[in-house]
Amino acid sequence: MTALTPTSSTAAARSRTTGPADPADPAGPSRSPAAAPARRRAWASRGHLTAAGLLTLAFVSPLYLTIINAFKSQDQIVRNPSAPPAPPTLHNITDALGRSDKIIQIGLTNSAVTVLASVLLVVPLGSAFSFWLTRRSAVFRRVVLAAFAAGLMIPPAVVLLPTIRILTILHLDHTYPGLILSNVGGGYLSFAVFVYSGFLRAVPGEIVEAAALDGAGMLRIWWRIIMPLMRPATATVAIFLSLWIWNDFMNPQFILGPLRGQTITTGLYLSLGQYSTNYAQLFGVMFLAAIIPVAGYLALQKQFIAGLTTGATK
Amino acid sequence: MTGRVRRQRGESALGAIAVLALALYALFIVTPVLMSAWKSLTDENPLLAHARFVGVSNYTDMLHDDALKSSLTFTLVTALAVTAVANAAGIGFALLLNKTSLSYRVMRTVAFLPQVLSGVIVGFVWRYILAQDGVLNHLLLSTGLIGRPVTWLGSPHLAMFSVGLVAAWVLTGFTTVVHLAALQSVPVELYQAATVDGAGRWARFRRITLPMVAPGTTISVTISLITTLKLYDIIAALTSGGPANSTQSTALYIINLAFTDDRFGYASAVAMLLLVVSAAIALTVTGLLRRREVDL
Repeated sequence: MTALTPTSSTAAARSRTTGPADPADPAGPSRSPAAAPARRRAWASRGHLTAAGLLTLAFVSPLYLTIINAFKSQDQIVRNPSAPPAPPTLHNITDALGRSDKIIQIGLTNSAVTVLASVLLVVPLGSAFSFWLTRRSAVFRRVVLAAFAAGLMIPPAVVLLPTIRILTILHLDHTYPGLILSNVGGGYLSFAVFVYSGFLRAVPGEIVEAAALDGAGMLRIWWRIIMPLMRPATATVAIFLSLWIWNDFMNPQFILGPLRGQTITTGLYLSLGQYSTNYAQLFGVMFLAAIIPVAGYLALQKQFIAGLTTGATK
Repeated sequence: MTGRVRRQRGESALGAIAVLALALYALFIVTPVLMSAWKSLTDENPLLAHARFVGVSNYTDMLHDDALKSSLTFTLVTALAVTAVANAAGIGFALLLNKTSLSYRVMRTVAFLPQVLSGVIVGFVWRYILAQDGVLNHLLLSTGLIGRPVTWLGSPHLAMFSVGLVAAWVLTGFTTVVHLAALQSVPVELYQAATVDGAGRWARFRRITLPMVAPGTTISVTISLITTLKLYDIIAALTSGGPANSTQSTALYIINLAFTDDRFGYASAVAMLLLVVSAAIALTVTGLLRRREVDL
């Protein structure tokens, strides 16, 4: 991008990577419409694209390694780690799936069950609670929301030990119901309440009052009117909770313990120890462990980014 | 009449759900924090039948605990450095990718991918890259940038640097997306007016872009800090806290105290310290950034 604005050349050079991007670039309209600057602008935008492309490629090169090495033999990986697989092999994948301990199949199933149960409980609980909160006094609402926000900031390691003790008292230690229950009550509920409360601020009270005048009960209003209105919030909550619970490592590691089956993340960690030098096997397992969250993200990335940005800019 | 009855019924059903939510929050957030606070005053140990009340001795023990000091230093330095790097990179990346054509949209999607992977995968992939015979050394050796392999994970200082680098890499996807969203809310007219007034690129960046994205920066910095202060899974897979405990985060130290050394009482005291430190940092930094938002 050529700097046509009256700046010193060093400032222009410095801001080349940091200046505002082209379409939003206000310098555009002020430039002379002559042919030469237009051509220069075309070159500049091509340069910008090249720079952005190279930087993005460098940034995601570790992911490239994960994918290609899943389809290479141990020998190929060691000899030439960054070369594409030639010829590609499915051995690592089939070997990982063919293990006698079924670590992948069991891990994927356990993770799916944990995620599904946790999300199916947190979503109605978080949304109904947030709706109930809108009908309480402002002071009460503010105090509760502050308490839930604090829940988001507590490092999981701080509450882990007492959580296990509480689950032991409830006879739920080392069980999936115990893991799911602590997911539901822990920081994830805080997140859901936070997102739903933010969205509910935009819902006019008249809607609720009108429905109440028509004789609808509050539970019914929540389910028939509020829930459909908050579909974007539900998408945000469900997507992020699924991802976090799926990727969670500390809670399954210590709440389930080593003998009670694995989620895909703890199973992967186990393979790390077993295969510490057998890269081919390990990349096969990693590929299978990563494929579901990555595919889910790519399929839902619009909602993902939308949820992230509404949450972040609110 | 029936309307009112039904409304009350609905209200109480909704109230029951609310009580359930509050009860779960109390059971899994409030109670554990209170239990940690109480246990931190005892010598609880799974090998002992009964825990004794020991007063503040766990807290005074911390003063002589070098492993705690190094873990706390590592955690704080990493949190600040990673937050600074990830947010600077995020702003830069966002400015670079702030265009609407398809190739930029693809790049944006791809840049967020590290956030989607579990910390265990991230930790392992980087362990593979940073190993002595790993890809990075391979690459640097073949281009002649270094003469012999660098022990990225083998020496304490480099290992700390490597852990920070990996954490910053993961977070940059997030900081980029947040800043991109913030950038899109900046009105083009502001830049046009500034240009007419003779403001250069750097001036426009400093006087318009940075202040306009400040609310996004506040969120992005706060979440980066909170995330790095509780760093656990990436380290578990990348270095397991080594070499010589140089990359042992405070979260990892608490886990080791509790599950390897069986020192529940002392682990609880360290947990309380981490809680207080995290809260203090998050609140201070958010407060400072909020004030900056207003000033600008």
